[in-house]
Amino acid sequence: MKKSIIFSTMVISSLFADTSISQMKKELELQKANMQMLEQKIENLSKNQNSSVNKSASFSQKSYLPDIALILNMSAVHRDVKNSDFENFALPGFIDAGEAELPFNKDRGFNFNYAEVAMSSTVDPYFDAFAIFHLHPDEFEIEEAFIRTRALPNGFRLKAGKFRSAFGRLNEKHQHSWHFDSQAIIYKALFGPDMISDPGVQLQWVAPTDTYFMLGAEAFQGSNDRSFGDTQNNNLYVTYAKTSIDLSDELSMLTGVSYAQGKNNVNGSNPTKIYGFDLTARYQLGSYSAITWQSEYLKRDKDIKTRVDKQAGLYSELIYQYNNNYSMGLRYDAITKNETDLSTYAGIDTSGLKRYTAMVEYHPFPMSRIRLSYMHDKTKIINNQRKDINKVMLSINIAAGAHGAHNY
Amino acid sequence: MKKIFLSTLFVASSIFASINIDSTYSTMGAVAKKIGGDLVKVTVLGSPKYDPHFIVPKPSLLAKLRKADLLIMNGGGLELGWLPPLLRSANNPKIVNGAKGLLDMSHYVNMIDVPKTVSRAFGDVHAQGNPHFSTDPHVVLTMAKAIKDKLVEIDPTHQQNYETNYQNFTNKWQEFLSKFDAKMQSCGTKKVVQYHELFNYFLTRYKIKSYGTVEPLPGIAPSSKHTLELIKTMKENGIKVILQDVYHEKKTAKFIANHTGARVAIIPHDMGADESETLEDFYNNIEQKICQ
Repeated sequence: MKKSIIFSTMVISSLFADTSISQMKKELELQKANMQMLEQKIENLSKNQNSSVNKSASFSQKSYLPDIALILNMSAVHRDVKNSDFENFALPGFIDAGEAELPFNKDRGFNFNYAEVAMSSTVDPYFDAFAIFHLHPDEFEIEEAFIRTRALPNGFRLKAGKFRSAFGRLNEKHQHSWHFDSQAIIYKALFGPDMISDPGVQLQWVAPTDTYFMLGAEAFQGSNDRSFGDTQNNNLYVTYAKTSIDLSDELSMLTGVSYAQGKNNVNGSNPTKIYGFDLTARYQLGSYSAITWQSEYLKRDKDIKTRVDKQAGLYSELIYQYNNNYSMGLRYDAITKNETDLSTYAGIDTSGLKRYTAMVEYHPFPMSRIRLSYMHDKTKIINNQRKDINKVMLSINIAAGAHGAHNY
Repeated sequence: MKKIFLSTLFVASSIFASINIDSTYSTMGAVAKKIGGDLVKVTVLGSPKYDPHFIVPKPSLLAKLRKADLLIMNGGGLELGWLPPLLRSANNPKIVNGAKGLLDMSHYVNMIDVPKTVSRAFGDVHAQGNPHFSTDPHVVLTMAKAIKDKLVEIDPTHQQNYETNYQNFTNKWQEFLSKFDAKMQSCGTKKVVQYHELFNYFLTRYKIKSYGTVEPLPGIAPSSKHTLELIKTMKENGIKVILQDVYHEKKTAKFIANHTGARVAIIPHDMGADESETLEDFYNNIEQKICQ
């Protein structure tokens, strides 16, 4: 190679008879220098190649570790009702005194609500797995653990395990992703803090249309005894349809209807039917700023053999995200229908069960949140008296590690 | 007659059966259209008006992903905050991670600014390197090659069309690049600061030095302390241009400009972020705004 180049340069240069020999010599020197540089480069490159030989441990499985996230949630609460009285509140028609489960922000003073460990991983080409371990200060709970298909054809997806139903809008979302720390009243009344979350299977289908349209069907054991509770068989079935349209680039809407039918265990085994309607509209004011309006209406017909209770309620919330760091929101909660036996509350006004909540939150970074909220609660009976409760709370939530992005 | 018309219509539509391509961002989408031509229908998921890290995962995007034969993503962590939940719920096995129909462009680009250590203590740092490679016009050639190879893989019957489009496009683009590079040779701006490290690929390519960012750490809003430090750096080094993107707040950059006599140049980070409608416009606008 080297020789032939030198030779050809010589031939070419000899053609130009008027070129002086000294010039030729200079050119040759230059070419030699160039050649040496190139040789040096090649040598360096081959050295680098040798050092990139894979010397990782022979049985290392590090790259297959699941994504792991740690979620912590805690609060400081001020409330104008003593802890011992608050624990025994009643929500007339839904929750009797002393019956409520209060896993979050129960005490005046400090609350450590939970530490959650979330793990997710692709199992193989066919399945994804997801689990969230919910740790209370003195309790371990598998909040969700399920597998999900990733390769079914024609828009289908199957899920199996213990998981939250996609009924309505809020049911599927974890507490840390709600816009308010407290659960919407109607969800608390009908399902308690666990929502519809049970062992079961889910099938969802997304239509191949220009407009988003999704149908889902789920079968569960039905262990939630606020509304269901007959677990002699898999007695709970949920179905829903959801669709979404963009009215403009900035304004998007998502709406859905849901239906759950199960069996309660009051006076034997009797049917419970729950209907849900949800509507969310989001107007984007910029990359980091948006106004979101989200509302849901839930209605329950609970047959308990001697009568059929007909109850309903709603919540409506308006969230203004000012920028990457600040958001604020208002929520209105109401029980709109309460046709049931209220004789235990004789002499107490049980009408106008409503609640107002306001919040301001600060996100130093997308992974952390400090939220200040005020709540005026007109839904509770305490010590056989209707009692309006005022509460101010400062809560902190962090999601550290490989925490997946949230849905719309 | 009617029947013949109908049947020809049917045949015609099956001949022009198109490949549905979803592209997360607009520049890659425009390149895909050049390579695919009439054989493809390109949908861009993330509007270039918005911060590419924070695209809203609107459910309407699910309908688009559901029908896609090919999803072209930027990769390098840029879509981490919005694409994964959409992909999970779109129920389209053709474009899930590992499937033939997912093209991660970051696998084909020489990523720069790859951090040696990664922690969220340093802000929103991408472990795989700086993902904003679309601002370098030379990367368009890399994109074109990767997209052409992918289209040939998923639609081999039209290989000849894709190869021809690719040849035509790259020839034209080479021509554009030689003119563009010549223009950049005479660019007077050699020192800049930028809001976020959005333009590093462009700046590195054309030997323009970036002395810092308006944000103190990636994804963290400006602080007064950091702003004052940046003003000092700019004065010391005689920096006269602040590269601002279209979607961040512009107050801080204006404040810095007032205190340094620098000029705020609003630079598109993706085709269509400004008024650009073609790839050529997009890069020419970057050049004009930086060098003016």
